[in-house]
Amino acid sequence: MASSVSLKIEFGGGLELLFANQRSYELTLPRFVPISNSTSVSSVPSPNLNDTGTESAMSDDDAIPDGLKRVDVTYLLHHLRDHLLKERPELFMDKETVRPGILVLINDTDWELEGEGEYELKAGDELVFISTLHGG
Amino acid sequence: MASCGNPAAESDALMTRRPKFDHSKECVKCKARNGNIVIRHVVYCRECFLRLVKVKFRKILQPSINEKLDGPRQKSLKASGNLTMGLSGGLGSTVLMDLVAKSYFMRSGPDDNKGGKDHPRKLNEKVWKAGYACYVEVSNAFPGMRDSTADIRAIVENYNLFEFVPLKLEDAFDPSWWNRVGGDPLQSDLGFEPGGENAQEGTTTYATPLDRLRAYLSAMPTQTALLSSVQALVRLLLLYSARSTQSSHLLLGTSLTSLSINLISGIAQGGGFAVREEVDEEWHASAAKAVRVIRPLRDLTMKECTAWAWWNNLTVVGETPIPSAKQGIGSLTKDFIIGLETDYPSTVSTIARTSSKLAPKEKATGVCALCQRPTQFGAQQWKSQISILSYSNHKENTNRISLASSLCYACLSSFTGRNSRSVNRSVKGHDDITSCIPIPLPVWVQSHSSMQSAPRGTGGSLIDHVGADIVEVKKMNREEMKEQIGSYLLDDDL
Repeated sequence: MASSVSLKIEFGGGLELLFANQRSYELTLPRFVPISNSTSVSSVPSPNLNDTGTESAMSDDDAIPDGLKRVDVTYLLHHLRDHLLKERPELFMDKETVRPGILVLINDTDWELEGEGEYELKAGDELVFISTLHGG
Repeated sequence: MASCGNPAAESDALMTRRPKFDHSKECVKCKARNGNIVIRHVVYCRECFLRLVKVKFRKILQPSINEKLDGPRQKSLKASGNLTMGLSGGLGSTVLMDLVAKSYFMRSGPDDNKGGKDHPRKLNEKVWKAGYACYVEVSNAFPGMRDSTADIRAIVENYNLFEFVPLKLEDAFDPSWWNRVGGDPLQSDLGFEPGGENAQEGTTTYATPLDRLRAYLSAMPTQTALLSSVQALVRLLLLYSARSTQSSHLLLGTSLTSLSINLISGIAQGGGFAVREEVDEEWHASAAKAVRVIRPLRDLTMKECTAWAWWNNLTVVGETPIPSAKQGIGSLTKDFIIGLETDYPSTVSTIARTSSKLAPKEKATGVCALCQRPTQFGAQQWKSQISILSYSNHKENTNRISLASSLCYACLSSFTGRNSRSVNRSVKGHDDITSCIPIPLPVWVQSHSSMQSAPRGTGGSLIDHVGADIVEVKKMNREEMKEQIGSYLLDDDL
């Protein structure tokens, strides 16, 4: 399995205004990330760190390195906040999750059905973040 | 994660997270497909969810369409007038317009004409002859706000089904708009004293309706009062527009979440007497047919509205928040309810359902001149017993009408509230306003019957008719106070 995971991210309902008014992003995240969800360059293993060059070289059963975890939605939220968000982070995140009033769809399915922040991301996943608070 | 102890000290203290859905990930309706969305712990697939939204929408709206209300089972639907929708550009009203268009205005194909040869179901017959989408632009009143009229117009015209009616918030102070919507002729030029509860004539110093609007908003004593007065102005502008378009129904895009917010925040601001009107309302303007105000999305949470908008590719323009709106009771209630909806989704519905069972004990004594909702008997007496609005008790000024007696408790509290923080900074052009000029009132207040019939030059008003209802409040000096309580005081020698 590759050492990185590529994702498609979309924002709607006015949330795109916080992300440079760009509705769609394509992202590549490392397969393993710090348990602390720190997204600073020094703490994130490079996508090439464990890359042996072949898809078959690693499998799901591979041991997870110490202090790391498989990349999940919670890490993605931190990554979006730290690297793509342009303004007012309090309108996107509250504590370790999205702010109340933001609907998250993972592959067109409510993230509450997929385990919310604990959902482990797979290559090709499409995530949509929609604000429900854009007026009434 | 929920905790029932000190997680740092005890490893067993952490409770396992309760899943947000019951049973399995399978759709509870079709039991065939995997679910796509969780609504109040229940799982639905996308197809069943979209059908469910339409059903919930119709279930609220249809029993109120025919002039004679005869329950949910009706053979044919025919409204007695046209339809007006209040559009804010926000999520709720965008979803409302889409559902109305798809359910009642779009021509369905010949296959939809089901029924027998002798009993055809006339699905193609329009329930309402004409539909109007009414938008009230508030940007002129506040600095830094963008005019969204063009964006909203584009969305309405995209449907090619509704006539767009653009309004501005300052129309509420514009006699020419008042004439256009068929209001009674204005005979006076009433305004209210800043911070007081009396009305008096002489507001002609304000050249344009916009100046009058800004003066009115600047005079609001609190941020909460400012926001609730904007809401009241928008509501009345929509109602009068609905009347002028011969509409029998005014539909608003209030979702279950917004309704719960409005109910809690309305009660917190003293509007408990009109709690029923917050859910369902029949507005009677003089000599005209009543307009039914219906909120057909009141069974749909914001999450359901969002999912409908997303899966139907609707464009939501979005409302620009009013500057410093964060400080009001409305915004604080909104934050609370939105948080509640995420953690305990069923509780939000409980708020709305519980409030719908509430009814005032006494009958209404009249209609508020400002918000045109029912007023409660004795509200003025209650207010005068619990608060000192003015230290002086003189009645020397001429041309005064007691505004207090014509307002409901909520509007009166908004007008006379006190706060150290002025709202002036959030309203454009506040520097021009001096405190000695009466603040203008909306046009409908000036033509309100209580304002027309109130005796001038007496300082009295309708409240004089109920004489005993008023309680005199004045400041006592120390000697008078001592005289009153003297017999209860202990001697210093003891």
